[in-house]
Amino acid sequence: MTGLLSTPLFWLTVTLGVFEAFDTISKRANRHPLCHPVLWSTPVLIGLLLWTGTPYAAYREATFPISFLLGPAVVGLGVPIWAERARIRRLVIPIMLSLTAGALTSIVSAVGILALFGGPRDLLASIAPRATTTPVAMAIASQLGGIPSLAAVIVLFAGVFGAMCATPLLNLLGVRDYRARGFAVGVSAHGIGSARAFQVDQSAGALASMGMALNAVMTAALLSLLAIFL
Amino acid sequence: MLRAIFLLFACQLTGEILHRLTGLALPGSVIGMLLLLAWLTLVPRERPTLTAVTSWLTAHLAVMFVPAAVGLIEEGDILAAQGIGLVVATVTSTVLTMAVTAIVFRWALGRFVPLDDANTGEKSA
Repeated sequence: MTGLLSTPLFWLTVTLGVFEAFDTISKRANRHPLCHPVLWSTPVLIGLLLWTGTPYAAYREATFPISFLLGPAVVGLGVPIWAERARIRRLVIPIMLSLTAGALTSIVSAVGILALFGGPRDLLASIAPRATTTPVAMAIASQLGGIPSLAAVIVLFAGVFGAMCATPLLNLLGVRDYRARGFAVGVSAHGIGSARAFQVDQSAGALASMGMALNAVMTAALLSLLAIFL
Repeated sequence: MLRAIFLLFACQLTGEILHRLTGLALPGSVIGMLLLLAWLTLVPRERPTLTAVTSWLTAHLAVMFVPAAVGLIEEGDILAAQGIGLVVATVTSTVLTMAVTAIVFRWALGRFVPLDDANTGEKSA
């Protein structure tokens, strides 16, 4: 029996099962950001690893078929960008200007503030891509010598917080245009923010997922440039 | 179906090769995304299967990073030592980024998109 604990089948089944359970709860809660399934599956799975005494390396190897899909999924983000090309062309100036400003603000403020707290270099590398979608953030973080799992959790937290503060913050700023609102949410809070934007307004949602996809490219490009000079 | 999967894999593999050859810090998968965009532009046609495959992948993105997030199990010391800094930096950066992006977008919309009729038309779409 105990041999089963070290098979991929066991941990793949447990991971999908735990995730699906929390995903059902999240659906019931009308996709509230605080009910994001990753937020709850992660601590439960960590608990199960500790309880069964399974080393993380063994778990990571067993669940490789799931995490392998991240790469092709990131490549696939090109398809929605392609589908929105007409709208992107029409709004190219607002999109490029706000995307550049937003991506720079995100990198400089996150890295700057953490540096003020005395964060070491590997943490700065983990927080630098915090506005990008999780798989891209993990790839960038490991590129820069950061910690991919920490990057994943930072991004998740930024997404949940961003999705919750978007409506009050943008109302406070008096930004009423749903395209500006949606794009800003996507650039700052990636997929979790986009999911929230779709609940509010269709065009806000479309612009949010566009902002998420474009910022993955922009942040990766900016950090690649910075990495050359630092 | 296999052809769509092959296209995604081929783009990522080419991205990884370019990443290694050029030493770019841009991850191979992001280069792959740009290559896919270039391919779609060069060979434009309807691709319902590719759209179906990528929509499925995107819809299930969350579960794919669970194994990585569980890796936090090994980062307890860092979280204890730097947790407050990480939270303050993440929260502040998220708010600032959203505000700056929204304000610049709104300004550029008024300044550079004179015939702005899409605003009301698209909202109902």
